[in-house]
Amino acid sequence: MFSLNKFAEIFTLDYFKYLFGCAKLSLILAICSVFFGTLFGTLLAACKISRNKFLRGFATVYIDIIRGTPMLLQLMLFYFGLPQLVPGYGNMAFSTQVLITGIIGMSFNSSAYSAELIRSGIESIDKGQWEAALSLGLSRRKAMTLIILPQAFKRIIPPMVSEFITLIKDSSLLSSFGAVELLMGAKTIGAKYYSYIIPLCMAGLIYLLMTSVVSFLSRKLERKLNEND
Amino acid sequence: MIKLCNIKKHFISRKNHKLNAIALDDVSFEVNDKEVICLIGPSGSGKSTLLRCINALEIPDEGEIYIDDKKIDYHNEKQLEELRKSLGCVFQQFNLFPHKTVKENITLAPIEVLHMDKKQAEDNAIELLKKVGLESKADVYPNQLSGGQKQRVAIVRALAMNPKIMLFDEPTSALDPEMVKEVLDVMKDLSKSGMTMVVVTHEMGFAKEVSDRIIFMDEGKIVEEGTPDDIFNHPSKQRTIDFLSKVM
Repeated sequence: MFSLNKFAEIFTLDYFKYLFGCAKLSLILAICSVFFGTLFGTLLAACKISRNKFLRGFATVYIDIIRGTPMLLQLMLFYFGLPQLVPGYGNMAFSTQVLITGIIGMSFNSSAYSAELIRSGIESIDKGQWEAALSLGLSRRKAMTLIILPQAFKRIIPPMVSEFITLIKDSSLLSSFGAVELLMGAKTIGAKYYSYIIPLCMAGLIYLLMTSVVSFLSRKLERKLNEND
Repeated sequence: MIKLCNIKKHFISRKNHKLNAIALDDVSFEVNDKEVICLIGPSGSGKSTLLRCINALEIPDEGEIYIDDKKIDYHNEKQLEELRKSLGCVFQQFNLFPHKTVKENITLAPIEVLHMDKKQAEDNAIELLKKVGLESKADVYPNQLSGGQKQRVAIVRALAMNPKIMLFDEPTSALDPEMVKEVLDVMKDLSKSGMTMVVVTHEMGFAKEVSDRIIFMDEGKIVEEGTPDDIFNHPSKQRTIDFLSKVM
């Protein structure tokens, strides 16, 4: 099963290059989803802390549904649902279809998690900051944007980075739909040689590399932001 | 200048939604222009809650508060912003903005709320910092200041809005003992300059020396009010005598 021969054949620079090419798609999926997820998540967080009962209820139900069901199931719903809902969706290139499904599905999923991170970040800021800002005559909107959010932002960064790392890893779910991302790339090599262990480990190394770089950068950013605390 | 009429306020326990504590029970008094009033009394007697009703951080259940003969409408966000512009507020925990320098803390509201020119706001801030002896700290962040320095900056921040009335909520209670004096000195200067002040305090020496009138509160009610001489030398109520005998 595990022969040195195959190892020499598979563990090569060329295959690493190929896998890095596939990893690009994983990264694109993760970056787009974290971007749209944060955007939508911020809106959801705003709903959740709003004084409007209806908005609060909507956000709570949405977040509970998304967090209470498997991401693979959500992705499948989008994968099978989008072509029925959006006219002309089925006429697009297959790779584009999978990419869009992935970004939409993962963004919706991520928005629920980031909404909770953002909400708890905002609520973790001492109430006295609100009171001081309002007492100075600032409007609620200005108190939020000038005083609360900049402080909350710092606290949200570390959990947001782990959300991003989760998304990099979860993009592998898209391999179930034929997206040629990192995991699919590894499986392709495996199928060619009837040997999966080596290419899977290679893919694992690349995932690890991506996530380590992201953690490293976030630690640096955190240190810079915490200089004044 | 400030007139409170029959203010009532109770807090509801989050656990069982039952009436939990009566914070203010039918409180009425007036603050006149240029008057310095100290609110004294045991913890939980409603002093801070009363102060927080004046700048609308708490909403009274019943009763009315008038500032310059204008009734506070607690549901009118715009009016509250206007009201708070004219009230300077100093908190026990300073509540400086940790992500802003001392100068930015002071100039933020004049620039954002009064739309003051940035240069003018900064000159103004430096001028005020000089008065409290902290002009050298203009560009540092609050975490590099001692408690007493933080509170002096907080006072300057409130003064930068050029308020008509200053409210102090136990401004020295969170300070190390050796820093109390520097803050009280700033407040004394302020009272001499003719500022209208309402001060919640446990500093009896300060209350005696600076205030025009003292209000003693207990269990949400005003027990006794009068000049420092009345309250400290000839208290008429047994509750006041008991309290003063414990703190003096």
